[in-house]
Amino acid sequence: MSPQLTLQTPLQIPPQEIPGYLQKLWSQDQSDNKGANTFCLLVWHPAWMEQKLVSTGRINGPVIGVQRSDLIDEARKIVLEKDLPHSTPPLAKEVFNSFKTTNISKQHEDLRGQHIDSAISQLQPRRLITLAPNLEQGHDLETLVAAYCPLPEEGGGNSACGDVIVLKGDTNSLKEGLCIVEELIPEDLPSWLWWNGSLDEDPDILSQLALPARRIILDSALGEPSHCLNVLQERIKSGQAVNDLNWLRLRTWRETLAMVFDPPNRRDSLSNIVNLDIDIQGDHLVQGLLLASWIADKLGWESTLEIEKEGQSYRTRFKRPDDLMVNFRLMPLPLGNPGINPGQIIGLRLICQSTTNEKAGLCVILASESGECMRLEAGGVASMELLEEVVPLQNSPVERDVALLLESSRGSTSPLLSNATPIARKLLNLIESKK
Amino acid sequence: MIQATNPLRIGLRQERVVSPQCLVIFGASGDLTHRKLVPALFELFKQRRLPSEFALLGCARRPWSDEEFRNKMSKSLAIEIRQSPKDWKEFSNRLFYEPVNLEHPEDVIKLRSRLEEIDKIKATHANRTFYLSVAPKFYASGCKSLADAGLLKDPKRSRVVIEKPFGRDYRSAQSLNSIVQNCALESQVFRIDHYLGKETVQNILVLRFANTIFEPIWNRNYISNIQITSSETVGVEDRAGYYESSGALRDMVQNHLTQMLAITAMEPPGHFDPEAIRNEKAKVLQAAHLANELEPWKCCVRGQYSKGGSKSNPLLGYRDEVGVDPNSTTETYVAMKIFINNWRWQGVPFYIRTGKRLAKRTSEVALTFREAPVHLFDAAGGTPTSNQLILRIQPNEGAEFKFEVKSPGSGMRSRPVEMEFSYDESFGEPSDEGYVRLLADAMLGDPTLFTRSDEVEAAWRLYTPLLEMIEDSPWQLPTYPYESRTWGPTQSDELLAKDHLLWRRP
Repeated sequence: MSPQLTLQTPLQIPPQEIPGYLQKLWSQDQSDNKGANTFCLLVWHPAWMEQKLVSTGRINGPVIGVQRSDLIDEARKIVLEKDLPHSTPPLAKEVFNSFKTTNISKQHEDLRGQHIDSAISQLQPRRLITLAPNLEQGHDLETLVAAYCPLPEEGGGNSACGDVIVLKGDTNSLKEGLCIVEELIPEDLPSWLWWNGSLDEDPDILSQLALPARRIILDSALGEPSHCLNVLQERIKSGQAVNDLNWLRLRTWRETLAMVFDPPNRRDSLSNIVNLDIDIQGDHLVQGLLLASWIADKLGWESTLEIEKEGQSYRTRFKRPDDLMVNFRLMPLPLGNPGINPGQIIGLRLICQSTTNEKAGLCVILASESGECMRLEAGGVASMELLEEVVPLQNSPVERDVALLLESSRGSTSPLLSNATPIARKLLNLIESKK
Repeated sequence: MIQATNPLRIGLRQERVVSPQCLVIFGASGDLTHRKLVPALFELFKQRRLPSEFALLGCARRPWSDEEFRNKMSKSLAIEIRQSPKDWKEFSNRLFYEPVNLEHPEDVIKLRSRLEEIDKIKATHANRTFYLSVAPKFYASGCKSLADAGLLKDPKRSRVVIEKPFGRDYRSAQSLNSIVQNCALESQVFRIDHYLGKETVQNILVLRFANTIFEPIWNRNYISNIQITSSETVGVEDRAGYYESSGALRDMVQNHLTQMLAITAMEPPGHFDPEAIRNEKAKVLQAAHLANELEPWKCCVRGQYSKGGSKSNPLLGYRDEVGVDPNSTTETYVAMKIFINNWRWQGVPFYIRTGKRLAKRTSEVALTFREAPVHLFDAAGGTPTSNQLILRIQPNEGAEFKFEVKSPGSGMRSRPVEMEFSYDESFGEPSDEGYVRLLADAMLGDPTLFTRSDEVEAAWRLYTPLLEMIEDSPWQLPTYPYESRTWGPTQSDELLAKDHLLWRRP
């Protein structure tokens, strides 16, 4: 599916004139057309890496705000050029900071907010408001407005239309312009904020945009792990509808693990788990902790206060409802050529051992590739019934994941995520106490 | 003890959520509302698939209040409410009632203002699904009244669901379609067939189009015949009034069995899109015809159950049932042979049968493959058994595949064995009732599992020669008696015997 552009060239108009312009735009149309009756999406869209790579001429412009392949390839090249650890994710802060912006090339075109991914435009957002901060300072606030209609791929159809608003400028100018954003959000439609950046950046802007009634989409893999879990937990606690892309990427692991225990004859093994091992790519621990916490929550395990660091891995224990212990090990693995998303799970091993029937052991191995399966097989599981599944890593474009969330959210946080987050937070506290 | 539910499965399913809306059920005092629709909605509510901005407005002629309607519904759901009283309390606050006679325009105008009021209280955004769970004779007038009151004006915010039977024959279905389409766009019309809501019927699509092993052999080159069966052990029960005028052909074959036929025989759609799927279903039904349209009695058998059972549990014959004409010629059993004139199915007979008071309750599609061209081995049963793939719709939902293996011993004798897939064993959890899925889909505006106007018309057209003959010269298609709790009249076995085949005994 190809991305779509607005049908008309966006008009640059002063911020204070936007509401009036939009009103005029819609009233000029057929009398009863008020646009799609869907939702409003507000996007914080810094695209820092892309801006920097375009402005230094390392990739071609314009800046479109999409994780395109030339951007990722170039970032991977920088990892090698700058002698960064090979396990550094291409969009990591370290990569961004490793090269300079001194050789700024010609002025580049910036299409952020006007280049709508088809996964999102198919949902017919009523209004898309993009906040596009400029990497360089000294840019005043600039506001662009355009109407758009998604073009159905199959032809025909009665596509409902919407409009896009882009606010550009350096961070300070954007902060000044934030006051007009609320005025632009339709009151009668659900509104979403997609924080398409690291959770470490600009907490002021985040809190100004993420008003309590607004559904928020964030990525707990972007930012310092402790801060990511704090933001996640605070927002969930406040009752806000929180949608985490890092949690969404876990869905195949959750589904595959649940699938293993769907046949009724395997259910008993769930009460007899004695070991849980999770391997992650790199050292961003959040996704691994969230998966372990989901399992713990579903099986009624309680976390204990024990923690040990053994080489790179962390070991702790959970208490099962029958008071027996489950050993949990989280293992960050430095892999070359890692995926875009930091800390993705690459392997999981569950060992179930009944106290009454020692022969009835079950070992479940889920891994992202067969090499990882073999690694997890080592360690004396040969005598057990062995179940292995390959779980492909989730590397779908972020826009598609966002579209999935926009489409499926109930306007509240997934109860699975809200139950898992405090457990993950507690585990991370223990881990940090050992650092 | 085995846990009833997989704890890792709880809350995992990411179902689509219905957007804010009001579901209006006409015929809210009727049996379907009590037994199926409200329980299905309560199930959707418990699964958190209904938004907080949801309302159900029951409409019927009885002068009930909101409270009376809630009480009536709570009686039908007594067991479920006992299990989840908190959920019911929350759900019942979303139930409303408005006395409406669809034939009185002033009632429909009143309904409009009630809906506006509900929009305000429940924030349902004027998004509405109208469910016509009324007698078929009111479908046309119901749609007209709604259209006249302007309630179907916005194609994006209004839908109408119409129960079966959609028409009594090809002509009446055509005329009903034209009335309905004058009131609303086709995209707003959802003709329901609850068989399509069954997981196992939908599974036929997945089995065929998500696996590469079946599609290459799913054609005339490999399949010798297909049998589609839907049998019931119960008799006419309290539906004599309706059944006397419909019979098995209208009640089961034209809709449920024909949908199973369409899904089994359709071509693969280019993509999983409602229109692409419905195009293929309509195409295959348009290519289907009775094996002998000029002499339908040669490819169709009608039957009627007579008394049976045991001394301790005697069963009445159809003509002795309450409300049935003692001289009734209505069929309670029908079997027929159909061909599909296309490249895939030319020459492959599809045998369809359905009946009441048969030996077993079952619904299945059985595909029998052609015999091996050369018989190299002795078969334990005399001749080798053809391979069979059986898709079990209900009960014991699943599939089985029969094939020949070497019989243990020193010789080279073959014998058939079965490979089984059972929903219970693999998933261990009951699937939702068909109405749960279909109500959600209608409110979501997803027509994939609903029949389009051309499909309904093609289905009626397929059986027109039979319907005309039953109407004009019923003696040519007599209803043969069969003993209750047997597999139908012997004439039905003869229908297959002519092709050197036997009905499968499920």
